[in-house]
Formats: sequence, structure tokens, C-alpha cells
Amino acid sequence: MYALLTGPMLWLTFAVFIGGLAWRVYSYFKGLDWKLDRVAYAAHRDFGIRGAVRSIGAWIMPFGSHGWRAKPIFTTLFFCFHIGIVIVPIFLAGHAVILKTRFGISWPAIPMVLADVLTILMLAAAVGIVIRRIALPEVRIVTSLYDYLLLVITVAPFVTGFMAVHQIGADYEFWLLAHILTAEIMLLAVPFTKLFHVVGFFLSRGQLGMDYGIKRGGMKGTNMAW
Amino acid sequence: MPEGKFCNRTPVNTQEALEALLGDKGGKQYYAEMEELDVDKEKLAASIKNTCKSRTGTWLEICAHCGLCADSCFLYQCNNRDPKQVPAYKIQTTLGEMVKRNGDVDNAFMRHAMEVAWSQCTCCNRCGQYCPYGIDMGVMFSYLRGLLHSQGFVPWELKIGAGMHRVFKAQMNVTDEDWTETCDWMAEEAQDEWPGLEIPIDKQDADIMYTVNAREPKHYPEDISEAAILFHVAGENWTVPSSGWEQTSLAMFAGDWEACTMQVKHVYAAIERLNPKRCVGTECGHAHRATVIEGPYWAGRPDGLPPKPYLHYVEWLAEALRTGKIKIDPTKRIKQLVTLQDSCNYIRNYGLKEITREIISYIVEPGYFVEMSPNKEHNYCCGGGGGFNGIGRFRPQRNRALMVKRDQILATGAKLVIAPCHNCWDAIRDLEEEFKIGIKWSFLKPLVISMMEIPEHLQPKEEEE
Repeated sequence: MYALLTGPMLWLTFAVFIGGLAWRVYSYFKGLDWKLDRVAYAAHRDFGIRGAVRSIGAWIMPFGSHGWRAKPIFTTLFFCFHIGIVIVPIFLAGHAVILKTRFGISWPAIPMVLADVLTILMLAAAVGIVIRRIALPEVRIVTSLYDYLLLVITVAPFVTGFMAVHQIGADYEFWLLAHILTAEIMLLAVPFTKLFHVVGFFLSRGQLGMDYGIKRGGMKGTNMAW
Repeated sequence: MPEGKFCNRTPVNTQEALEALLGDKGGKQYYAEMEELDVDKEKLAASIKNTCKSRTGTWLEICAHCGLCADSCFLYQCNNRDPKQVPAYKIQTTLGEMVKRNGDVDNAFMRHAMEVAWSQCTCCNRCGQYCPYGIDMGVMFSYLRGLLHSQGFVPWELKIGAGMHRVFKAQMNVTDEDWTETCDWMAEEAQDEWPGLEIPIDKQDADIMYTVNAREPKHYPEDISEAAILFHVAGENWTVPSSGWEQTSLAMFAGDWEACTMQVKHVYAAIERLNPKRCVGTECGHAHRATVIEGPYWAGRPDGLPPKPYLHYVEWLAEALRTGKIKIDPTKRIKQLVTLQDSCNYIRNYGLKEITREIISYIVEPGYFVEMSPNKEHNYCCGGGGGFNGIGRFRPQRNRALMVKRDQILATGAKLVIAPCHNCWDAIRDLEEEFKIGIKWSFLKPLVISMMEIPEHLQPKEEEE
């Protein structure tokens, strides 16, 4: 089981993850249509790029946009959640060791304590996000079971990973297998679900930035205050 | 019943059809027929297939259901934070559902979608500013309006409005003859006070070609003479076209893209014919959007720009004040608390936020200008945008929508609101009528005329004693 999950299954997962996202990016760009979108992307490419960068920049920065500043609690939850998701798996010492021993790649790692803190913050934020979904009528009305399913898929590798690392519940083998399996499920889900926003955020946010950068004021010498 | 006499999938293309539709007072029969109107599902599915691409598809799919858009929507705010007014909910349950079902929707669905598209969204585009993904539901509602229009589910007044553009090339039944006569009449009247004033029609190669909102020749001709006075005093070499003078587009509110294209091409044809250096449009937000922002795309121009530089009135006025073409008498500047309405169509959606404030700096005594909060590109819709002002069926909803602007104005303490947009101007007039908060409202033109210095050579000659 372990051999399967860390062998062929792992490669398949990476192939689907990367290939799927590449296809997402490709098809998004291919489907952009200056006539339908009414944005002259090609004619004013530099204004477009400038607008896209400004738009993405304002929203990727914690409290960088009016929208983030208007909702400080949600913004805090949001960034705790996303920073943990991105930083922990990529820079976990345990993952770096695998890269070193299996492929001989030297990979930077963050201290274990930091990984723990980020993971706990991320899990706490997930709980906060669920509570918010249930508590606020304006969020509840747009929430579906699918939203909870995606949260479970996203959170599972972190819960199981945390259990394995800290040997909670004694059964290390079980948690390790569960961790690898749930992580593969998550990566496989990314291109096929809303989780494709790992690239989709940049595409969509960038597109509106281009729209404002080209057509809605960017060429008039004023900047949209995102 | 497949299609009604008035309510059907065919736009109004003739004067007879237009008059017949107008004769159906209040759209009584029209809306009765709408209850029976069939949905052409094949046509709808084909439209979706051809026009719902990357951007819209991704917007519908990627929405994280986070609800951050809720508070960005003034209609959510003024309807007691009704969750059914959350922008994401509004678009997902209408356009989202229609796309998901690939057009397989029934009459009741379409009528509901019509109500949401025209009474729960003014296409102000504010939500797109507050969505982490930049999902612009105003853009999507505009797209939805197009789909609904193509199936005949459009408010009565807007079917008429789009029909007016098709028949008269104007949003109202103003013919080119009516227009030029009004110009001549206004010039004649103004000449008493302004010797030498002209409204030059169809002058070739002028510096400025001026275009208006058809309401001006129809109901507010003084607006035309005010524009003429200001051009006259500024010493501009200007003209108006005898045809192609109407800059607005109710067809845009209706989602009648074909009529939008016809209308804007008509204006561009006037530009080609008269070859001015640049164009200036009147104090109207949606007119600017229709002719300058969206228009180039309807006309199929790959650079997304009109054939000649096309200024909003505030751009020309700021320039005239900046360069001293028009000088303000400092003693006549506004010396009462005054606030400014930022029109969504050329502030949020065209970036002219600093230009209007530059004008304020010339015409208001320092210390008397109070900003609304929020303002500039984050300002709220006046409450009547996107056609909302003109739809009788949704008047109660519109009146409620005015409450946000009312409260914003009250919070400034100002008793004068400068509203350089026909639509905002109307909404603010209506909110005063509805709530009686004791305010006045004004375009820029009359204010500037009341306080400008008149150059010696333009002053009326003293009567012989």
C-alpha cells in the first residue's frame, strides 16, 4: 500500500495536478475574447499587464485591498488558512528529507515549531470559516454541501499529517498512510473543483485588473484603488 | 401561447410597432402576455454556447461562496440585509442556474430572472471591487439582461427605449429635425444675452463635436444653451452633428446589443463625417459608457477606443478651467456645504475621480466641499442606475434603493449635491421628492455659468440710453 501510494500513485497525482492546472490556464486564456469581454487585451497589452499586477498585488497582500480591510476578522482567517496551506507542505522539514533521500535535491525547510504553529493556525481558521458559514445569513444562503466537502478535502491532509508527525493516537503507520492518501486526493481534486483557484485566482483577478487597466480608467492616468 | 402581440422575441423596429407598444399603457397587456411567453430553449442554449466563455464561465464556477460581496451591494444594505440580495446569490440563482441547465428553463424562471436582473442590480460594478476573485456581477447581470432580452423578457419601458434607438436613433422620439430646430431656437434665445453666440451645426473639422442626451432637446433644452454659452465663453471652435447627436443608450440597459451597435455606429458616422479633432459628451454617465467605454467594442473597433478622443463633459470643463479658458469669479464661488455624486459609469468605470475634484477646487470656496463616504470609485450607485429609474413596475424597489444615497447625503450635512450625470441627477431629484430632506441638486453647467467671469468682448452691449 505504502509503495503504491508513494510510487505510481504519487507520480500520477503530480501529473494530473500539474497537467490539469496547465490545461486550466491554457483554456482560460484561449477562451478570453476581446469582443465578448469587451476588453482590448491585445491592443493595450502593457496597460493590461500593469492593471493585472496591481489587481493581484492588492488582493494577495493581507489587508492590501479595501475589501480585505472592510472585513478584518475574515481576512485574518483567510490568510491564516492560506499561508498554512501553501507554506507548510512546501517547506516542511519532513518533506525536504524525502526530496533529499529520494532525489538528492537540497530543499529549504522551516523550523518544526513554525510548521506546527502554521498548521494549528490553519486548522483553527478552518473551524472559524465553518462557523462563519453557518452563523452569517449572507454566507449561509450561498453555502452548499459542496463547500463543506472541499473544506474537508483541503483540511484532511493537514490533520492527518499533524497526527503522524506528533505520533498522536500511537498508530503512526495509519496516520502516515492516511496523510499520503488524503494529500493525493486533495491534489487530484484541485484541477477538477473550485480548488483550481490556485491558478484561477490569478487568472480571474488578473482579468478584472486588465479590464480596469485598459478600459475602465487605467488609460486615463488614474489607478483603481483596490 | 408562443409569443404575444407586444411581448415577444422581436425587437421594435418600426414607428407603428413603437406607437402600438406605447399605447399599451403601463405595459398592462405586455406583462400579461409575458406570463404566457414561451422560452425558446434551443436558441437560449445556442446563445449560452456562443457567448458564455472563459471569463463568465470561470466567474460562475470559481465563486467561493464567501459572502464578501454582500456588504458591497447597496441593494443588500437598503433591503435590511436580506440574504436574497447578496450579489453572489442573485447571480448564481439566475444566470448560474440558466447556464447550469443549459437554457432548459421555464417561463416562471425567466420572469423571476428578469425581476432580479432589473430590480436587484443596477450594474454599478461595485461588487467586483470587493470580491477576492474579482467576480464582477454587474458585468454578468448585463450579460444576463442580453439573454433575457433575446427571449423577450425585458421590462416594457426598456423594450420601448431600445425600440426608440432603433427607430429614431435616440432614446426618445426626437427626430434630427426636432434636434436642429431646438439648437436653432436655443441659440436664438441665448443671443439676446450673449451676442455672437452660435450653435454651429455640421461644421467640418471643428475642434470639438458635442453630443447630448436626447432628454435635453426633449425636456431640458436649457442644458443645450448652457453648453453653448460655456463653449462660447471658452472660445471653442465647436459643432454639433445634425444626425448622430444622441449619445445615450437605453438599449444598453435593455441588453439589446444589436440596437447598441446601431446607435453607437450612428454617432461614430457623424465623427467620420465631420472630422472634429475631438468629441465632448454632455454631463451623463451612461451616455459616456455607451459611446466611449463599451461603444467601441459594439462597433467592433479592435483598439477599444472611439474614432476620435471622446471626453466626458467633466474632462472638458476641468481643462477649460485649468487653462483659463473659463475663469471663475472668486467672490461667486460656492460658499455653502456642498457634496459631489460620483457617477459609477465614469468614475468607477472610467477613472475620472480626480477630474471632478479638480473642478470642485475651482468652483467651491475652500472648506465648503464635503466628500460622501464612501466616495470616488467606491461610491454607491445613486439608486437609479442601469435603467432602474425608468421602470414603472419596479418603482417601489427603486424608491427603496434611494435610501442609501439619501443617508450618504444626509451624513455630509450638505444641502447642495453636484450631480454631473443625468441619471444620478434624476435619482437625487426623486429622492428629495420621496423623502424631503431639503436638498438641492445641480449639474455643473449652470453652477459654472453663475460664477464665471465674462470677458469684456463677450459682454452684452449696453443699450443706447
